[in-house]
Amino acid sequence: MKKGGLLALSLAIATVALIVIGCVWPVQAALPFIIQKPLLTSSSTPEAAVQVLGQEIQAHNWAKAYEAFANKAQFTEPEFELDLTGYTTNLRTYSTLDHFKAWPLHASADEADIRLELDWATVVGTSVMTRDLHVVRTGDHWNVNWPLTKQPIVPPQVIPVNYLRWDVIYRGAGDDWGAQDVNAPSVRIIDMHPVQRADGVVVMGELLNDDVVPAYVSMSAILQAKDKSPIAKEEAFDKISHVLLPKQITPFLIQFPDVRLSQVDSIDMKPFSILVPASADPVIAIDNEKFNPSPNASLTGQLINQSGQVVNVAHVLGTLYDKSGQLVWVVDQYVDSALLPQTPVAFNIQIPDDIAKKVSTERTVVATFSFGGLL
Amino acid sequence: MKKSEPLESWERPIPLSLLFMVALAVHLPLLLMKLPLQSYDTNFHIFFSSHYVDHWFDPWNTKWFAGFSQATYPPMPHYWIAVLSRIMGLDLAYMAVQMIAILLLVVGVYRFSLLWVRPRAASIAALASIFLGSESFLIYNAGQLPTTTAAPLYLIALPFLYEWLRHGHGRPFIKATVLFIAAAAGHHLTLLFGSFIFALPVVGLALLDRRDGESTSASLILGRAIAIVSAVSVIIGVVLLPFWLSLLHHPIDQTTIPHASRANFILSPEWGLNYFILPYGALILAVPFIFIRGSSETRLRPLLFGFWVTFILGLGGTTPLGHWLLGHAFEVLTMERFSYWAGLLALPFVGLLSVKLIDRFRFWAVGSLAVMAVWTCAMGVAWGTYRITNARDVNVNVVADWLNRGGHDQYRYFTLGFGNSISRLAVMTDASSVDGEWYTGRLLPELTRYGGASLTQAKYFGTAGLESLRAIMMHADKYGLKWIFSNDPYYDPLLSLAGWRPVDYLDNKTITVWAKDGVPPAMPVNVAQRPPRWQGLIWGTLPFGSSILAILVFLIPERRRKQTRAEYPMSEDEVETQRVAS
Amino acid sequence: MKAILTLLAASLLLAKLQAAWAQEETLRLPKSIEAGSAFLIEHSGGGEGTLYIVGPSQVLKRDVKAEGAVYFPARSLYDAGHYNVIFTQASGTKSGSFDVAPISAPDKLSFFANPSRLPIGVKHGITGAVYVFDAYGNLITAPTPVSFELSSPSGGIQKDRATTSIGRAWTEMDSTSQQGSGKFVAQVGELKSERIIRQVPGDPCTLKMNAQQAGQQVQLQTEPVRDCSGNAIPDGTIVTFTETYAGGQSTVDVPLKRDVAEVKLPLHSGAKFTVASGVVLGNQIGWQK
Repeated sequence: MKKGGLLALSLAIATVALIVIGCVWPVQAALPFIIQKPLLTSSSTPEAAVQVLGQEIQAHNWAKAYEAFANKAQFTEPEFELDLTGYTTNLRTYSTLDHFKAWPLHASADEADIRLELDWATVVGTSVMTRDLHVVRTGDHWNVNWPLTKQPIVPPQVIPVNYLRWDVIYRGAGDDWGAQDVNAPSVRIIDMHPVQRADGVVVMGELLNDDVVPAYVSMSAILQAKDKSPIAKEEAFDKISHVLLPKQITPFLIQFPDVRLSQVDSIDMKPFSILVPASADPVIAIDNEKFNPSPNASLTGQLINQSGQVVNVAHVLGTLYDKSGQLVWVVDQYVDSALLPQTPVAFNIQIPDDIAKKVSTERTVVATFSFGGLL
Repeated sequence: MKKSEPLESWERPIPLSLLFMVALAVHLPLLLMKLPLQSYDTNFHIFFSSHYVDHWFDPWNTKWFAGFSQATYPPMPHYWIAVLSRIMGLDLAYMAVQMIAILLLVVGVYRFSLLWVRPRAASIAALASIFLGSESFLIYNAGQLPTTTAAPLYLIALPFLYEWLRHGHGRPFIKATVLFIAAAAGHHLTLLFGSFIFALPVVGLALLDRRDGESTSASLILGRAIAIVSAVSVIIGVVLLPFWLSLLHHPIDQTTIPHASRANFILSPEWGLNYFILPYGALILAVPFIFIRGSSETRLRPLLFGFWVTFILGLGGTTPLGHWLLGHAFEVLTMERFSYWAGLLALPFVGLLSVKLIDRFRFWAVGSLAVMAVWTCAMGVAWGTYRITNARDVNVNVVADWLNRGGHDQYRYFTLGFGNSISRLAVMTDASSVDGEWYTGRLLPELTRYGGASLTQAKYFGTAGLESLRAIMMHADKYGLKWIFSNDPYYDPLLSLAGWRPVDYLDNKTITVWAKDGVPPAMPVNVAQRPPRWQGLIWGTLPFGSSILAILVFLIPERRRKQTRAEYPMSEDEVETQRVAS
Repeated sequence: MKAILTLLAASLLLAKLQAAWAQEETLRLPKSIEAGSAFLIEHSGGGEGTLYIVGPSQVLKRDVKAEGAVYFPARSLYDAGHYNVIFTQASGTKSGSFDVAPISAPDKLSFFANPSRLPIGVKHGITGAVYVFDAYGNLITAPTPVSFELSSPSGGIQKDRATTSIGRAWTEMDSTSQQGSGKFVAQVGELKSERIIRQVPGDPCTLKMNAQQAGQQVQLQTEPVRDCSGNAIPDGTIVTFTETYAGGQSTVDVPLKRDVAEVKLPLHSGAKFTVASGVVLGNQIGWQK
């Protein structure tokens, strides 16, 4: 072979070799763009069948995933899709499946039980969904029985809504400087308590709307050193219920990462409130609320929407107290199912074990969001 | 007896004037239609230019990231847009500069190709540059004006480099140096990587040619190479001093932002289409020829090696070579520019191949090549229509109007779901945003820590993007951040439950204005990072001045030397004709 | 003849005195004028010049051609304050000053009443401050009598009188024991300014609920919730019902509706029901199935 031909061949081989290496061991930078395509076309083991299912869900290949179910006669493909993305718009509707895990619970020659954990990336953080799958052998491959959660049926009805709504007329921009304006609602911190945690200082407490009008509240705190110089300023962000009806109480929790409590001499709490239009609707009842002690301490219960309006996103804030009634921790969880009228939706909030030991009682409030009910 | 007339027209190089006319015929209507405005980065460059219109000597721009330095991006094309905008407005000024870059590319490719092939093939290479898929892709989809401006300057400089290396005269040394500096003032990465990708093959060529004609020793050539590299480095060090100081003070240590040009194009074929098929187009068919011809001709081997390395780098994460050669820089660079450079390096081969095909198949070859060229160019232009790169439906005019009235611009803002329109919005409003599109310029820790790109597209960066969004929202008071314009209901639950309130609807309720109550008016942030006045003077003077100097120097007539066949040993299948330009 | 000579001598003397006076007092200014009134500035000494009048927020300029008076019509100067007058001529500059005083007749009141809303029975809880202005918006600094009157929802009236000092006067009033909106009026002469003060109920005084079985649930209903003065707590106020039972608890935040709050909670044997509103606790009911 000529020298030039050899060179061309060498370059061609090197090119192919580099491409093969790149495909077999993709570089880190390429990983975010590789959608896990089902590489296993035949589900030769129960685990492989569940893996394929996970990959199909991640790729939104609902049809392919549905086709592989052993119990597909029991429901339709759209029902399966809605089971995962929500029959009613909720946190998961717009989310993507970040990753999934599967592990066997039980296996025999012809059937197996496998737990599938789906971690959805939602706008408010990761939402974890766990399903226990029964996998059955069909010939030389395995098929999943999908445990479909049926859409709760709300009977057609008219629910008269006569809850209060507050509207506000502020002074106009062109009004004289002496013109009267409406005062901001009066709010009061009824409890405040800083604690040191491994990742920094946490300031928590409770805020009361002491007024007769609804308040839009936020809470920030400034940690101050002995010379009154500010160490850090942070706010409660979503660890608070921002709309408080008259005499309503919300817990709040403010995190100061990388700060030691020993550095702090005083804390300047800055509650902020403003009068906003608000509605007393919807009313959310918290049923069967229960503190489950360690191990795996948790706060569980069910949310029941007592109104006619659908709540798309609910945020549960739990306040935990010790025997003396002292606030010990604030926990929270976003519920990834919409709250339909009169339909219970469970919540389960994990509590750190070291805190769970101190907990005696709890109190829970719910902040809600409904699409289309913005202004 | 020969039928001389038709044969001569086939064999004659295409005149530069005709090439310019073709370039104008193809690209001028598209630019006058302002098609690049739909691309990823065009509005970003217009935004940078808009700042220089009012602040020629102050690279500190408070409209993005609560304040950032534009000295983090070489400014030459931006200053030209700023100058021309006085006559024709920012949009058309951008198009004018882009058109000039296209015309310069014709000259650059022709001059560069002449180093390797005869004028006829070089002129066809120059013609091919007008239809180059990656050029169209960069202009009409990526909007990378600096890259497409710097590369022609670099290509124009390379023959002077060759002349300097071979003959050592002062005039080519000065011309090469000035043009390199102007190229660096346009785009630093072109010079940094162009040194290896474009210049090393030319150095290799000079070494191969050292015994032809005027004999020169290898050590002398290497010495001259070192001399010009030293001179260019020192001068660029001064011309772009604020840029280097900025890089020194704020090294790029941000968490890496994923970019699809670094994807594996086989495992992610949709990105392969975007970053490989589209930029190369019909050029892919020429790759085997490039390998075979480049290997068989000793004189073409440096070009082949340059092409091969660039081609592989342009494949992004398809191969590990980029990761191996560039290290951390691979995580920071976008790799589509390598495909562009590979395309430019391939053009002399394309010229050779075309000559060969035309000589053999005449009209059929011309017709086929024309169809392939037009198809390649057309797909590069039209791709943005099929794959929407921008949130085109966002009406930023109403947002700008809203911000500019009633004292709303006393506070900072950012947008959600606006895509690349945030640059357009920033041009139209005086309000300051905490977001932006020039990630290297970011100083706010909330933006640099997590690996998200712009806040407006936070959801596309998963946990990283959303963490960054939460972090900046948590510190709204600190930055005087009061407004969020949302074009995407995806974010509504977070905004509502984190204490933001919808206060207005815009554009038929497609955009919701969210506000946070109790936020103090925006105060200057990162003031300590603001470049001092003397840096502003350098920034406003030297990079732009270097381009003026390049124009003047390029007009200096070249020393006429007797050309011999030995000096430019050509391929045997090439027909020797006279050079039409130098 | 002697008389004529005497008269002539006297005239000459007078003319001499006038000339001497004119050389010393080239500008004759009013000491003080009322805002918006017309006035004259006389100058003597002859010659052309420019007259400037510079005040706190107004500047006037007049070109003066010859000796005499410069007339400024009404509304030329309307901002109260101290004004400097400068007359520049080729031969030199003369200056002087005068005051523009507010019109003594009040035209407008700025009445600050705070708060717009407060609980009942707060001593000195309501403050009112009045600033008295003339027709041109000048603060009238001369002492001016002001009367304040707060009519409470029950019909009672609180009155106070004050005299402005440096243009302002203030008062404090108590909120009464009955909720509702009260009119708070400040009056100067015939001028009146009115504000609405809303007196709202205080915390619930006694919070008492009743329970009765409704199928598999217990219906809890408060008695009408009132404050210690007997005012009904406003609708929408949150009342929290809590059911505690073995191993669990149920909670509902219910807004008051027509003075009462009611809710249905699941029936659990041995359950304990409590009610609270804000920081006020109500009664507790134990339930045995």
